[in-house]
Amino acid sequence: MSKTLLKNGRIISPSDKLDMVGHILFENSVISSVEKDLPPEDKIDQVIDCSGCLIMPGAIDMRVQSADPGAEHLESLSELLAAAGNAGISQIVSLPATTPVIDSAVMIDSLRLRASSTHGALLHLYGAMTQSLNNQQMAELGMMAKAGAIGFANGVVSVQDSLLMRRIMIYSKMLDKPVIHHCSDAYLDKDTDMNESETATRLGLLGSPAIAETIMLERDLNLASITGCRYHAAHISTASSVEALRRAKKAGLSVTADTSPAYFLLNDKATADYNTAFKLNPPLRSEEDRLAIIDAIKDGTIDSITSDHHPIEMDKKMLPFGQATAGASGIETLLPLAFSLYHTNDISLTRIVTALSTAPASILSLETPKLASGETANISIINLSSSSVIRGTNFLSQSQITPFEHYLVDSKVVGCFVHGISVML
Amino acid sequence: MTRDTKIANDTPPPAAMLSNKHLLGIQGMPIPEINALLERAHFFADRPKTLFADVLANITVLNMFFENSTRTRVSFELAAKRLGASVLNISVNSSSVKKGETLIDTATTLNAMRPDILVARHHASGAPLLLSQHVDAAVINAGDGRHEHPTQALLDALTIKRSLGKIAGLKIAICGDIDNSRVARSNLYLLSALGADVRFVSPATLVSPYFSEMGVPVYTDMEQGISGCDIIMMLRLQTERMEGRETPSQHEYFHFFGLDTRKLQKAAPNAFIMHPGPMNRGVEIDSKIADDNSKSLIRTQVELGVATRMACLEAIAGASTRVRI
Repeated sequence: MSKTLLKNGRIISPSDKLDMVGHILFENSVISSVEKDLPPEDKIDQVIDCSGCLIMPGAIDMRVQSADPGAEHLESLSELLAAAGNAGISQIVSLPATTPVIDSAVMIDSLRLRASSTHGALLHLYGAMTQSLNNQQMAELGMMAKAGAIGFANGVVSVQDSLLMRRIMIYSKMLDKPVIHHCSDAYLDKDTDMNESETATRLGLLGSPAIAETIMLERDLNLASITGCRYHAAHISTASSVEALRRAKKAGLSVTADTSPAYFLLNDKATADYNTAFKLNPPLRSEEDRLAIIDAIKDGTIDSITSDHHPIEMDKKMLPFGQATAGASGIETLLPLAFSLYHTNDISLTRIVTALSTAPASILSLETPKLASGETANISIINLSSSSVIRGTNFLSQSQITPFEHYLVDSKVVGCFVHGISVML
Repeated sequence: MTRDTKIANDTPPPAAMLSNKHLLGIQGMPIPEINALLERAHFFADRPKTLFADVLANITVLNMFFENSTRTRVSFELAAKRLGASVLNISVNSSSVKKGETLIDTATTLNAMRPDILVARHHASGAPLLLSQHVDAAVINAGDGRHEHPTQALLDALTIKRSLGKIAGLKIAICGDIDNSRVARSNLYLLSALGADVRFVSPATLVSPYFSEMGVPVYTDMEQGISGCDIIMMLRLQTERMEGRETPSQHEYFHFFGLDTRKLQKAAPNAFIMHPGPMNRGVEIDSKIADDNSKSLIRTQVELGVATRMACLEAIAGASTRVRI
């Protein structure tokens, strides 16, 4: 038996309606008590002083693209899970755009098996919506669900064919799994480099209009409405999409959404010097969009915050902006950047904790994250008053390209437990 | 096998009398007429095949199959011949009759030759009705698109009645590609009209939500759907009417919706399996089950198809004669 005491932290657990300064004691993988009063410290193997720190249910990152299989040299699965754990994330959900594509039960089986013997965050998987992500033929969703896929996604490829999307939604509803979709109209988005804007015009780059996202989202919302499918809009980046989501939620649709730090902390002016670290998909949007995203996080229109981690080879970034590949590392900066909403935008800690744990768990039907006696000891600890500057070279992962290079954050992950085991290195 | 007292006939039942000149579908057909056809078909089935060679002696039957068919065409041809009718088979290349005008033109041409009965199969739903509006002959629908296949439903009902002795109160699961199936629709109308508890079992992408609105119980879990059922009617995956994207693959389809020994255990202990054919072995049905004559009624269905169509042709000939007089 191994007993660990987390002492004197601010414990926030939305599903327990808990926000208090207190202590958490856990034995092996199970929480034995969450109390205001300090339990006797004898017989405890490890005491961690959490004064000034936030103790929250283990964070869940529901949008991660693993480079493995296919580009293990960039970041292997074990590196990814270790990096996530070290960054305070207890569970990640990986997208299917690997090589080969995760579009069969065999792929799900194999990755789950590999992850089960790896130290770090727990791995969940989305199955591909279409075979080889070809957008032509539905993948074997049923077989993948049976093998443990927790939802279906298509990476950064939007299913343009509305009939196919309708069938995928009907089929997913039958399997009671959510559909996670990247929204982009292929025609409006074709060959574009960044957000359609004055900056794009000055830089001479081809712009993708914000409505390229919203048009696809609106289509999906209409399809979700007639199919009754659990629909999740991934990395939402525009004010008009937020409006569409707000309307859909008001109408009672089973719709959820996430966004990522780049869309609430940065805008398209960041690309002014052609720095390809800022080339993302969806692209960085206008300041108005950014502010709308913050409001949407605040009022819950956007349910969860994700890292949108997407390792890209340096070779594919050291190119003219138009030729560079979109994407960046995100897993090791997710928590400090998300909590900057607390420091600078007056979003409550409970709301941020919800967006990082209970919301993704509920969207994906994972075990409800709780901090209470008898619950699994998946716990993240964040020091909310420890300033530092983000440097890609400090990342554990080999994937070190970040749009937040030199960005100042005020919080730091200081502890992370998965099933009671510390995964901080 | 037990027999329903109602059709265990000692005195021959009379030829069925139909109120409609044409036999276009089960929907809207009065129950007494359905029963009359079943009784007459049952009678034909148990008599020597040469006994009725003069019933339709002066009748010309034209088989017009705008869509490929072997069993239904042969079944109609045999039925007509056993009743002594003159039969002509016309295979029409479906590509030449894609437009309504062409179908009507064909009908007008044939009409000039004064056939008595047109047996029509067409890939377009509603084509037999259109045909019936432009010919003097009586039209029997031998299957139109996704709409109806009335003689199939009648022969299925006869098969069930002869095998289980009744239809009322039976739990019948129709499984598979419901949306694209005329057999599912005709059987739904007919078997429910005769008091069976009919449910559909299908992937959600192959069964319109409007069937639920029509009051049909729809199951997307096969084991639940066939649980306790007396009859499991399997349908063919109608690849020719699908764009190939309704289900992920035949592999997954068979896994979740193919009838195999394990799933069959959920059905009633003496459940019978039916299939309108042609079967896709290993897609919707495991060969072991299809070929097990203690469970499978598939051959009986084919056998009773002829008797059923004899009853239909006889009734329609009578009706068309009456109309003509």
